[in-house]
Amino acid sequence: MKNREWNDQIKQVLDGERELESLPPDLRRDAEAARRLLLDAIDRQPVTLSPALDARIMSRVRSRAAGRWPRTWRWLSAPTIPRWAMLVPVAAAALLVVLTRPGQQADRPTQAQAVYVRFELYAPRASRVSLAGTFNRWDPAATPLVRIGKDGMWTVTVALPSGQHQYGFIVDGRNWVPDPAAPTVDDGFGRRNSVVSVNTNNGRIL
Amino acid sequence: MDHSGAPSDGSVVRAVLSGDVDQFSVLVRRYRDRYARYAAHMLGSIDAAEDAVQDAMVRAYTHLAQCREPDNFAGWFFLILRNRCFAERRRTRWESDLENIGEVAAPEQTESALERSEAVEGLQRALLRLTAEQREVFVLKHVEGLSYDEIAGRLSTSVAALKMRMHRAYDRLRELLEAP
Repeated sequence: MKNREWNDQIKQVLDGERELESLPPDLRRDAEAARRLLLDAIDRQPVTLSPALDARIMSRVRSRAAGRWPRTWRWLSAPTIPRWAMLVPVAAAALLVVLTRPGQQADRPTQAQAVYVRFELYAPRASRVSLAGTFNRWDPAATPLVRIGKDGMWTVTVALPSGQHQYGFIVDGRNWVPDPAAPTVDDGFGRRNSVVSVNTNNGRIL
Repeated sequence: MDHSGAPSDGSVVRAVLSGDVDQFSVLVRRYRDRYARYAAHMLGSIDAAEDAVQDAMVRAYTHLAQCREPDNFAGWFFLILRNRCFAERRRTRWESDLENIGEVAAPEQTESALERSEAVEGLQRALLRLTAEQREVFVLKHVEGLSYDEIAGRLSTSVAALKMRMHRAYDRLRELLEAP
């Protein structure tokens, strides 16, 4: 029977803790096959739940609350957060270059209203850099950056629709690097995603 | 408030605990989709993930007073959802999930995309054959992109234990995916 257990060094490659190039040729082939079998087949597409979910949750929450606090107590303990605060849009600071004339961009616009945004990262020791975000389903292979010159600057231009987008750079296929020039938000798992907000009405990046 | 002007989780939690129930909808909007991918991979379908998120949210509201760090509502809510996912996995058999696999994979159109879709589906099918603990560490590391240190902190376990779990998962996945 064929041994189905991978060598520990191959598992370290899968873990991102060992470079593929450090393995002897025979193990390297197996490690490449292991990566194709497991890591290349991972679906990282974000999952969006039904828009009706919020109403269903709040309906159940309110029904539970009805038996919890007397009406007078709820009136006395008025909200501590003004309601207008909920309406303030999330705005990210400008950090990227907007190209007003589409034509030589890496990604073609998928919507009629799109703004071309150039992403840049200074990574002189990187052998490859890619961009992953909400706009490309967090696919680390979808949007590679191109090295410009010899001073370590990497860049790519992407057409983004109006709205807020979260993203990050992936250096050498395994290191997640937030954009040092952009604001970040907690991704809910203890790390930071960079944020860019695009307004297609006037081509501005907020 | 943070730099964007949105209220912090802590201030929203305190508002809800003060009696403004409607403020809970801020947390619902903020976190309804954040862990949906985790739940969908753990449970094998988006429908099951939606039920789990709904139950976890209602449970979070019911026990909100027990949230010791209101500014870390996200981490607290994740643990509630995680418990819900594990309970669901114990309750159902994996075979019932296999009919729903296609829900997690994206609909694809081109031939090469179809091949990838099949590979994605095959891996998702195999992931559901792992133990819940093995599947979880694989999903958190390779789908959500967390490091072993981050997972260990989140699940209050050791990196060594996580690696052992993951390496067994690799071997089991190979066995499942390369089976004739």
